[in-house]
Amino acid sequence: MVLSRISFLSGRSRCRIALALALLLAVVGGTLLAGRLQAEDAPADGDAIGSGTLLLSGKGVAESLPAVRLGTDMDVTVSGPIARVRVTQAFRNTSDRWMEATYLYPLPEDGAVDSLKMVVGDRVIVGHIKRRAEAREIYEKARERGQKAGLVEAERPNMFRNSVANVGPGETVLIQIEYQAPVRQVSGEFALRLPLVVGPRYVPAQATAENPARSETAVAKDIDEVTAPLAAPALGKGLNPVSITVHLAPGFVPANLISPYHRIAVSDDGAQARTIRLADGAVPADRDFELRWRSASADPTLSLFRQALDGKDYVMASIVPPARLPQGKAPPREMVFVIDNSGSMGGQSMDAAKESLLHALDTLRPEDRFNVIRFDDTMTQLFEQSVPATPEQIATARRFTEGLEANGGTEMLPALKAALVDATPDDVKGVRQVIFLTDGDLSNEKDMMAEIAAHGGRSRVFMVGIGSAPNTFLMRRMAEAGRGTYTNIGDGSEVNAKMNALLDRLKAPVARDLTVTVDGAPLDFTPRRLPDLYAGEPLVLLGQGQNLSGRLTVSGMIGDKPWSQTVDLSAAVDSPAVARLWANRRVAEIEAARAAGETEDDQADGQIAELGLAYSLVTSQTSLVAVDETPTRPAGARLTREELPLLLPAGWDFDTLFNGAAAHATPPAAGAEAGEAEAVTLPRTATGYMALVEKGGLALLLGVALLLAGARRKVRV
Amino acid sequence: MTAAVFTVKGTRATARVLLRTAGALLCALGLAVMAQGLAVPIKARVAQVLLDRAFARSLAEGHPVRPWPWADTMPVARLTLPRLGASDVVLSGGSGQALAFGPTVVPNRRDGGGGSGAGADVTIVAAHRDTHFAFLRNARAGDAIDVQAIGGAHRRYRVTSFQVVRWDGFAAPRDPARPLLALVTCYPFGATEHGPLRFIVWAEAL
Repeated sequence: MVLSRISFLSGRSRCRIALALALLLAVVGGTLLAGRLQAEDAPADGDAIGSGTLLLSGKGVAESLPAVRLGTDMDVTVSGPIARVRVTQAFRNTSDRWMEATYLYPLPEDGAVDSLKMVVGDRVIVGHIKRRAEAREIYEKARERGQKAGLVEAERPNMFRNSVANVGPGETVLIQIEYQAPVRQVSGEFALRLPLVVGPRYVPAQATAENPARSETAVAKDIDEVTAPLAAPALGKGLNPVSITVHLAPGFVPANLISPYHRIAVSDDGAQARTIRLADGAVPADRDFELRWRSASADPTLSLFRQALDGKDYVMASIVPPARLPQGKAPPREMVFVIDNSGSMGGQSMDAAKESLLHALDTLRPEDRFNVIRFDDTMTQLFEQSVPATPEQIATARRFTEGLEANGGTEMLPALKAALVDATPDDVKGVRQVIFLTDGDLSNEKDMMAEIAAHGGRSRVFMVGIGSAPNTFLMRRMAEAGRGTYTNIGDGSEVNAKMNALLDRLKAPVARDLTVTVDGAPLDFTPRRLPDLYAGEPLVLLGQGQNLSGRLTVSGMIGDKPWSQTVDLSAAVDSPAVARLWANRRVAEIEAARAAGETEDDQADGQIAELGLAYSLVTSQTSLVAVDETPTRPAGARLTREELPLLLPAGWDFDTLFNGAAAHATPPAAGAEAGEAEAVTLPRTATGYMALVEKGGLALLLGVALLLAGARRKVRV
Repeated sequence: MTAAVFTVKGTRATARVLLRTAGALLCALGLAVMAQGLAVPIKARVAQVLLDRAFARSLAEGHPVRPWPWADTMPVARLTLPRLGASDVVLSGGSGQALAFGPTVVPNRRDGGGGSGAGADVTIVAAHRDTHFAFLRNARAGDAIDVQAIGGAHRRYRVTSFQVVRWDGFAAPRDPARPLLALVTCYPFGATEHGPLRFIVWAEAL
C-alpha cells in the first residue's frame, strides 16, 4: 500500500523524501559512530598499557602465582537447624622446593571447628586439640624435623588460618577440617551462609587520642593475624577455586531454594531432601555463598533437639513468638544512620550502601528525628545532633549521601562513639536506633563491642552488612551487644527487599523482657542475657544440664501484653551437634563479657581454653594440630615459607583500597627509579560538549530541511 | 484511478503537516541540545574570568577567596604554559563540579598536604581535554610551566615526558627526588565520548 502511494508521488516529492531519509540516516549513523569511537577507546586488555611495581600496606600484593596452589571443596550436610561442613583444602606444591604454606580463610562467626585430618598419600593423620601455644610448638618442632604437619588456628572467631609444613616438590597434601554452625531463620526463611574469602581488614593506627591503649605491638599482631597478601588482579580469578555440595535435609519439604550470589543445580533425594551443587563447578573464592529455603508447608514455630554426652544433657530450642497484629502507628523514633565510606567500600559496596541509606531516609516520618554520620579515617556528623525529619533536612541528608565517595581507612570507633551520644537518655518511651551501613572490614572488633557495652544506653544498634564478603562476626556481635539485628545486603539488587524488611522490623521489637524458666532439673542456658526479638526472629536457646526433664517456659511482653510459651523437653529429637554448639555459644558469650569489661583477660582465657579442650573446639586459646611421625624432608633440603594470596572480594575496587596505595604503572618520569608508587584514581576529564553540539546541529539541520520541504510544497499548492 | 489520486492528495496534506511539525520539533530539540553543549565552554570561560579576580584577591589577601559566594571550591594556584599562551586558575578538590570551572588538584599523599616520607611533592592537576587542558595536545618536552601559589611564590617546571594510562592504572611516585607536576586529561583528544584512557604530561621542578 505504501509503495503504491509513493509511486503516485511526483519525482520531486520522492527526491525530498529521499533527502529527509538521508538526513535521518546521517543522524543515526553519527550517533552510532560516536558510540564506536568510545568503544575503541577501551583497550581489550587493561594491562596492555604500562605495568610495573605494586605495593600495598599490610602484607602486600602477590604479583606472581604462588608455588603452592590450593583447591577447596566444601561438603555441607544440613540436618534440621544445624549445618555440618567438611572443608577439604588441597595444597599442591608446583615448585621443586620443599614448601610450607599458610592460608587465611573465613568461617561463619558461629561455626565451631572440631576436627582436623591431614591426608598424605594414602595415610590419614588425625589432629588433636591443644592449647594454642602448645599446638604451635608441636607444629614448629615437626616442621624443623622435616615431618609433615598441619595446624588450624583461630585468628578471630570467624577467621582461621591453616598451616601445612614440608610439602615436597610436586606433592599434594590434603587438610580436612570439619565445623558445624546453626542455620539462621528469619521470618520463616532459613539461610546457610558459607563465607569464602576474608576481605582485607583495616588495622587502625596505634595509640590515638581516642584509644591510647592500642600499643604498637597490638597493631603488629593484628596485621600478622588478620591480613594476607592480595592476589594482583592480573593473576586472574583462577586462584583458590572452591567447589560446594550441600545435602539439604531440613526435616520438612524444602521450597523456594535460592542462591543469590551463585548459580546452583538442585537434584531431589526423596521428598524431604535435596542435593545442591554449584552449576559452574569450581568458582573463584571471591564472594560468600548463601543458600536460602523455606518450608513448603506452614512455617515451623518450634524446634527442639537434644544430645547426651559424657553424662550431661544438652538441649537446643528455637522458639518463634507469634507475629503481632499491626497496631496503630509506631511511636516517634530517633534514627542515627552511620555510613562507612572507607576505601574497602569502593565499587559496588559504596553504591549499595548509599542506595540503602537513601531508601531509609525516604521512610522517615515528620515526627521522627534523625542524623547521618559518615566515616572513613575521618568522620563527619551531618547535624550536630538529631534533627526533626522535615523535607528540607531530608533533602540535605540526601545530598550529603549522594556526594559520598569511598576513600581512606576504617576508623569506626569515633563514629560509633558519636552515634551513641544520646541527648535524652531518660526518655524510656522513645525509641533510639543506630543503623550502621558497613562491610566491617576492620581488626579492632573488641573495641567496638566494649564501646557498645559501656555506652549503649537505651540505643539499639542495627547492623547492615554491605558487600560480597562482610565481616559477619563484627556485625552479629555488635547487633547482639546493641540488642538490634543484623542484615546483609550482597549487592544493589537486594537493597529494596532487604531494607524494607529491616525497616519493618525496626518499627518496634515484637517481644521484649524475655525470661526463661525450667521446672524440673536446672539447665545452664546461653545466651544468659536474652535479646529483644524482632518480627520473624526466633529465640535460639542452648542449654546444658544434668538430665533433661520437665518443661521449659519462655515468657515476655509482646507489645504491652504478657506472652509465654511452654515446651515439653522430653519431646526433643536427638542430634549429635548440640553439645558443641552449646560450647561454642558459651565461648562467644565469654568473649562478649570480656569485651564489655566484665571478665578479666586471664579468667576469660582460662574458661575459653577449658571449653575448647573439653569439646575439642578451635578457639582463640586452643588449636588443632596434626603431625605425621615419619620425617620426609631430607636433612639438607631447605624449607620455603609461603603465605597464599587471597582474591579480593567481588565488587571491591582494587585501587580504592588503602587510599589507593596500589599502582599498576610507574611513570616514566623521575619516579621510575624511586620504586615505590602510589595509585591515584584520575577523574573523568572530558565534557564531550562537542558531541552535544554536533548532535544538536544535525537535529537542527534535519528540522530545517523538513520545514523547507513542507514550505516549498505549500507554495506550489 | 480517481480514488487513487484523491488518496494521494489527502496523504500529501497529512504528510505536509507531519513534516512541518517534525521539522519544528527537531529544530527546537537541536537548538536545546546545542545550547546545552555550548554552555559548557561558555561556563568554563566565564568561570575563569571570575576565578582570575578571586585569585588576584587571594594573592593580595594571602588566603583563598571564594570566586562566588556559593562556590564549593577555591583557587589555589595559577598554572601558565607561556609557549602555548595558556593560563588557568587551578582549583582545590577533584570533584566533577569544580572541573567544569577550571583545572583541579587531584589529592594524593605527596601533594604537599602533610604526607609522610622524605621525598618531594607530587602535584596532580586534572582538567577537561576539550576546555581548559585542550592545549596539552600541543605540549612538547622541554616546555616551561609556571605555577604560582596563593602565597605568591612561583615554581617553574619543565615538561619531561608523556604517558597514556587507564584512569585506574595511574601511579604517582611516592618519594621522588624532585617535585613533580602531572597534568592529566582525557585521551584521545579527538574522541567525542568518555573513554577510560588518560593523557599525562609529566613535568619536573627546575
